[in-house]
Amino acid sequence: MSYVADLEDLFDNAPCGYVVTDSHGRILLVNRTLATWLGIEAAAMMGKRFLDLMPVSGRMFYETHFSPMLRMQGFFHEVAIDLIKGDNSRLAALANATQKTEGGETVTKIAIFQATSRRKYERELSDARAELATANASLTETAKLRDEFVAILGHDLRNPIAAIGGGIRVLYREELTPRGREIAKLVEGSVKRMSRLIDDVLDLSKARLGGGLTVVRHAEPNLTHEIEQVVSEIEMGAGRSIARRLDLPGPLFLDSARIMQLISNLLGNAISHGAADQPIEVSANIREGCLEVAVSNGGDPIPNEMLPRLFQPFFRGNDSTGTQGLGLGLHISSEIAKAHGGTLSVSSSAARTTFLLKIPVDNNLHAI
Amino acid sequence: MSVIRRNNVLVRGSGQRTIVFSHGFGCDQAMWRFVSPSFENDFTTVLFDHVGAGRSDLNAYDPHKYSSLTGYADDLVEIGEALGLQNAVFVGHSVSAMIGVLASLKAPALFGDLVLVGPSARYINEEGYHGGFEEDDIDELLASLGDNHMGWSKAMAPAIMGNADRPELAEELTDSFCRTDPDIARRFARVTFTSDNRSDLPHVKARTLVLQCRDDIIASEEVGEYVRDHIPGSKMVLLNATGHCPNLSAPGEVVAAIREFV
Repeated sequence: MSYVADLEDLFDNAPCGYVVTDSHGRILLVNRTLATWLGIEAAAMMGKRFLDLMPVSGRMFYETHFSPMLRMQGFFHEVAIDLIKGDNSRLAALANATQKTEGGETVTKIAIFQATSRRKYERELSDARAELATANASLTETAKLRDEFVAILGHDLRNPIAAIGGGIRVLYREELTPRGREIAKLVEGSVKRMSRLIDDVLDLSKARLGGGLTVVRHAEPNLTHEIEQVVSEIEMGAGRSIARRLDLPGPLFLDSARIMQLISNLLGNAISHGAADQPIEVSANIREGCLEVAVSNGGDPIPNEMLPRLFQPFFRGNDSTGTQGLGLGLHISSEIAKAHGGTLSVSSSAARTTFLLKIPVDNNLHAI
Repeated sequence: MSVIRRNNVLVRGSGQRTIVFSHGFGCDQAMWRFVSPSFENDFTTVLFDHVGAGRSDLNAYDPHKYSSLTGYADDLVEIGEALGLQNAVFVGHSVSAMIGVLASLKAPALFGDLVLVGPSARYINEEGYHGGFEEDDIDELLASLGDNHMGWSKAMAPAIMGNADRPELAEELTDSFCRTDPDIARRFARVTFTSDNRSDLPHVKARTLVLQCRDDIIASEEVGEYVRDHIPGSKMVLLNATGHCPNLSAPGEVVAAIREFV
């Protein structure tokens, strides 16, 4: 074959479609490959506008986006277009183009690649993304409804529980047999425990619905006294003593009720998970600009693999005592710490397991 | 957020009278790069990007506000007020022609002259009116917008800025033209191609020139003539240019026609 014949072959039978248009976008040349793909004689395309090969929507996009790009930068790359075949079906294609103006004539060369599978794949991806977004929105909505349901349920359970508690207190004033008194006491304990569980569930659902736990800060003149009281109550309930090292100035600016809730949770855990024959300690002081409260106990250490999940809601360790709650205590405690701008952390070794609350305070001892 | 920053307003040139150039659907103020410099010697030129296009502040894109051309016209009036414009010339391409019409109705003192390049008061055909498109075409356009990877991520925006003096970045710079967030592009396309401003035309008081191309598939001669016939006292110039963007394909002709008119 001669050199010219080689070039003609290269043009006509190239593995891509090839179109050349004039200043008005009319087709000057089109190769055999594209003619074959489209099922339209090359001769029949001569003089037509390149736009005429596209569906109306494609023309609109081409004229408002790609024509300007060609004029401004002289080329475009990887443009997705549809071309209409002789049988009116569509050829999904990708096109690259260059444009040059010489001697008053603006010539545009367009290379066209079949992209049927690719387009299909892209549309599938795009559809899948849209489906995911819809599913995600629906899940979020369901989760919100569930939280609302739990909040309402928890709230509604409070009234009958309060009624049972009230009934027990009335019973105490009645003549009861020793066995009756014992049962009343057990029921009262159960009512208290149930109230705490409901409070935890309400805290969680409120925090999830409201974007975090709310704390109401106020000046607490004597946090030491408050802690003493919580510790004493727990000592009485558990029937064992708790060592304390409390060294706090006053007043501190924080939500003391929430801090007491946190300490009470930590002490409850120390009693139920710690070794009964080893001391439990509570310490509280101001160190390096932080209020620090530590609660520690002896006994088996918390396994390393459990540590990262410890503060997640509904996490319950391998508890053999059977007295465990919903697994919300530590989660709520850490949320209380966060709401004060602080942290709740844990360290656990064969010697001691210690939970440490740190809340930054400023020079006026306000929680920051 | 200042209007100037929001709409990426660029003021150039020196002259008593100001010309405001407003781009249409698909691109940004770069559409005027072959036209506006010709006026800088004797006019003050104002270029800007509609919110959602070019280097406008994407955070200012409020789907509700921009669900009709009125939102865009309000921005144009605000730009005019911020610059203290009076009796200025407005040159609007494509959908911006109607945005200029709405702005001139809202603030009549703002523009003395309107130059509408490839205007259409209504793109969709109706009984007794030829707009050039059927509703199905518009639906198909909206559906196909996702096929092209025109959407540039927000993180890419800084790369577009100020590279003109670094030719090695020319491709990156130029390749950013006409790139818009796909979601915004879809909304703007919907607003553009479903708008109907036919009832606004008779109220236009500004002197008006329609610049019409031949062989324009977006706004045909018939559509341009409709605009001319319904804006009182307006006239139309039929350019030799073909296609929808004479500001790029035949800037000389566009410049000459604007000069002749103002």
